[in-house]
Amino acid sequence: MRKITIHLLIVLFSIWFFQKGVMLPQETAEDFQLNAFAQLPVKFEGRRKPIDTFARNLLTILSDKQTVRVDGKKGSAVHWLLGAISGSPEAENYNVFRIENLDVLSSLGLEERKGFRYSYREIISKVGTLDAAVRAAYGRNENQRDLYDKQMMKLAHKFYLYQNVTASFEDPSTLPPEQWPYTAQRYQQLEKYSIPLLIPSGEAPVRWTPLMSALLAVRRGASDPQAVRMGAMLAAYRINDAAQFNHELKEYGAALQSNNPAVIKKLSFEIFYNRLSAFMKSAQLYLLVFLISCFGWLARKRGLIRLALTLMVCAFIPHTLAIIARMFLSGYPPVTNLYSSAIFIGWAAVLAGIILERVYRKADGMGNLVGSIAGFTTLLIAHFLAGDGDTMEQMRAVLDTRFWLTTHVITISLGYMATFVAGTLGVFYIFSGLFTRRLDEQTNENMARMMVGTTCFALLFSFVGTVLGGLWADDSWGRFWGWDPKENGALLIVLWTAIMLHARYGKMVQNRGFAVMTVGGNVVTAWSWFGVNQLNVGLHSYGFTQSASLGLMIFVGLQLGVILLGLIPLRFWKSATCKP
Amino acid sequence: MNKIISFFLSLKLTVTLLALSMVLVFAGTLAQVHQDIWTVVELYFRCFIAWIDWSIFFPSAWAIPSVKIPFPGGFLLGWLLVINLIAVHGAHFRIQVKGGRKVAGIVMLLLGVLVTLGVMFGWGTASVATSESDAFWRVFLRLGRGSLAALVLYVACILLYRKRAGMVLLHGGILFLMIGEFATALFAVEATMTIKEGETVGYIDHSREVELSFTEGSNPAFDQVFVVPEHKLKSGALISRSDLPFDLRINRFIKESSRPQLLAAVPSALRENYPAYEGYGSTVYVAEASESGGVGGGRNAPAVDVDLIDRASGKSLGRYIFSLWFYPNFVNRAWDMPQTIRAEGKMYTVYLRSRREYLISSEGNPYSIKLLDFVHEKYEGTQTPKDFASQILLINEEDNVNRELRIWMNNPLRYARRTFYQSGYLPGDSGTILQVVHNDSWMIPYLSCMFVFVGMSAQFIQSLRRYLKRTDACVR
Repeated sequence: MRKITIHLLIVLFSIWFFQKGVMLPQETAEDFQLNAFAQLPVKFEGRRKPIDTFARNLLTILSDKQTVRVDGKKGSAVHWLLGAISGSPEAENYNVFRIENLDVLSSLGLEERKGFRYSYREIISKVGTLDAAVRAAYGRNENQRDLYDKQMMKLAHKFYLYQNVTASFEDPSTLPPEQWPYTAQRYQQLEKYSIPLLIPSGEAPVRWTPLMSALLAVRRGASDPQAVRMGAMLAAYRINDAAQFNHELKEYGAALQSNNPAVIKKLSFEIFYNRLSAFMKSAQLYLLVFLISCFGWLARKRGLIRLALTLMVCAFIPHTLAIIARMFLSGYPPVTNLYSSAIFIGWAAVLAGIILERVYRKADGMGNLVGSIAGFTTLLIAHFLAGDGDTMEQMRAVLDTRFWLTTHVITISLGYMATFVAGTLGVFYIFSGLFTRRLDEQTNENMARMMVGTTCFALLFSFVGTVLGGLWADDSWGRFWGWDPKENGALLIVLWTAIMLHARYGKMVQNRGFAVMTVGGNVVTAWSWFGVNQLNVGLHSYGFTQSASLGLMIFVGLQLGVILLGLIPLRFWKSATCKP
Repeated sequence: MNKIISFFLSLKLTVTLLALSMVLVFAGTLAQVHQDIWTVVELYFRCFIAWIDWSIFFPSAWAIPSVKIPFPGGFLLGWLLVINLIAVHGAHFRIQVKGGRKVAGIVMLLLGVLVTLGVMFGWGTASVATSESDAFWRVFLRLGRGSLAALVLYVACILLYRKRAGMVLLHGGILFLMIGEFATALFAVEATMTIKEGETVGYIDHSREVELSFTEGSNPAFDQVFVVPEHKLKSGALISRSDLPFDLRINRFIKESSRPQLLAAVPSALRENYPAYEGYGSTVYVAEASESGGVGGGRNAPAVDVDLIDRASGKSLGRYIFSLWFYPNFVNRAWDMPQTIRAEGKMYTVYLRSRREYLISSEGNPYSIKLLDFVHEKYEGTQTPKDFASQILLINEEDNVNRELRIWMNNPLRYARRTFYQSGYLPGDSGTILQVVHNDSWMIPYLSCMFVFVGMSAQFIQSLRRYLKRTDACVR
């Protein structure tokens, strides 16, 4: 009875933990109805989404956060966006541009400050310097650009993105008619960039127009009541007229509902998904699970391990649901880019941990440990990868084949997952054998068996996944194998796992040697997952991210360190069973 | 002798070879930062000895001098692995059964080979195949055929090898895959086809080979074409052909030439040493360029510097430069720079062009492709491509084929042992570029994938069950 109560308490705790922040903030009738505004549809980078998502993504690109600090208080992304696009003067003072590079800061004449975030006004006064530096950087060959060049280009990208977005909400009504032709030209130019499209018109297929162009058309005599309402809404916000804003917003929403009900589908669900931010919360719980399980495993407390398992399942369920929600929202299979591959690999690793723990009677908490640490790390990686903007981006033409995405990408991700699980087991094996007495004969055998089993699984999935990738290539451009870097990366995993199993089968390595090899598997897999993208060559280079480089190097360094530890002669190991 | 045999029999050799393969693959990946992918494939994978450049393992900023180290190449490692695999299997996995079971096993094995060959050579597939349905079904169907072959072979292996059936099948699959890749490396041919909207084209361009072509059009019914293949275009060679009214003296064959620039825009120091060419060579500057690096870099464009020699007098009729850059398909139809030569009252249009091959069906009749429409869709408000598609007409009058078909991303056309893939497009979406592949071993990966999958799964499930049984016994 007491046990059930404790488990129940854990479930309740998890529910409480996950519901935090989901409820929409309270608003009175006199306030600006930001919650309703956040639900309006916008099309950006080819995907229809609520303004809430658009604001969060844009803010993440600019400042690496989803909130903004205004007068010492936390403000929501929508609040910030509305200020920026309505042209309210104080929005230009919000510190949203993150600049960490000191050289960039000093050349722009800015002081180093806590948080490294700067306002539009601070940068616009130095835009000449920025332009000149970026032009120089573009003049140089790609491999000759130094860090300063790259950081300047990054800042310029953020700055012009911000300018383009705010410009696309401009209201040309104040302009005199003789300026219209010039303005129309400018808008046409602007439309070639990635800007938010706001006004949906027509039945199906719906055509989307950016607000400034729609308003210019209205100026020139077209009838577009929706554009006029949106323009009025932003104008009301600028002069702080809540009643007018709310009135226009209501009209706008009602007209959408009656004219184009299709474009508001799924939007409120997406807001719920945004507010839940399940992946971040799951990651935090996984970390807790890991800490509890560590203690439980070392101290051989069975009860504690069971509790941790319950907590892990409680974190796993929202993790799963959030992946399903992403599939529902984007209409794609679970893995489409690096971000989603991290989430999926973490998910599969946690699942593997749960299965190990439930099915394999002698896992003894090892499943908890492996699943939770893998789940935590991959979700953390995903969090850092999310800085590029929308994580549910549309797929490029060659990648847009749901069949191949489902089969090849999922299989190969499962292969990655299995090598990581085996590698994590290897790390635990080395640590517990070297530093603790926990690795007795029974545990030693069990862990070795788990490592070999997972490696078999890894070989099967990475082989089939790699070949399926080749078949995709054959199906797309008639070349099964082209020695492309990403293909080679996958091949390296297959070769490495094959080496491991052959070495084991031929008795070239024992348990300890195998454990060391599994850690090597971590290195090979990390290289294949992230490293080849850093080379920036080949057909698969769409997964390129800059920040991953350093992280990868640190990870590889750590793994090599563990391998060295694992190679310390057995007589120095603390666990007696390892002694020859 | 015994030593050699036992050398090939050891698993240590397997592990060593696999480890060497890892090093080679890793080096071959890094090398692609500096060299174009095809060069790397030739230098590292499709050779017996690879010369690995030491400097690729370091960031290019460190400026490590390039030192080439000999290393077993892809072919060598591949063949050694094949020998090792066959040797180990021959020695350790002997057929363990006798009598009826053995006969049944061998019959099943033959049946399996038959099914495999049938799948490979496209039994039961249409002669003109494009898919209007999803990739899903098409690929599933192929994997399904592969699975059928794999299952028949698995039954044969169970009959012959009992518990080791999975092991034998999975390694057989690997062997098959490797042999298939050898075959592809040796025999597969990739070419391209460039068609403008409304145009009908009956030939493909082998873009990695060039030829010098002379087209004479005085006969209204047909053009006469004379072609000098690349291997004859050697610096210093004198080419004399009875069907051409003049001889050719090859002054230089330039392997890598740069994109032509206006001669007037070139610094005068360079202009001074530039030969006095006739034709386009008198207005544009074609320079030798060092090999372009990386996939994203410039392209290889050979050029040839030729003197036309009057046969009677032995004097030069003019010196010309022919660059692949003048050939419209090479520059995606951005321009067309034919050079014409008059001799003995006839006009010859001359190009250095990609080796041209005319399309011939399996029945020996010529066929061609007309591009009706090219569609390039983008996601709204972005430059991200959503879909490329070519609406084409396949025309083969002798064989009575006249079909309108659609080739789009991941959905190629298969006809007459060639596969036509959507690969690129001309500027302004005015036409399409198709990748044309001839590879008879293309089904082997589908088959071997299923062999390995079935074999490996069977083996792992078997070990798992054995293990579970043992633990059950322990618990009891």
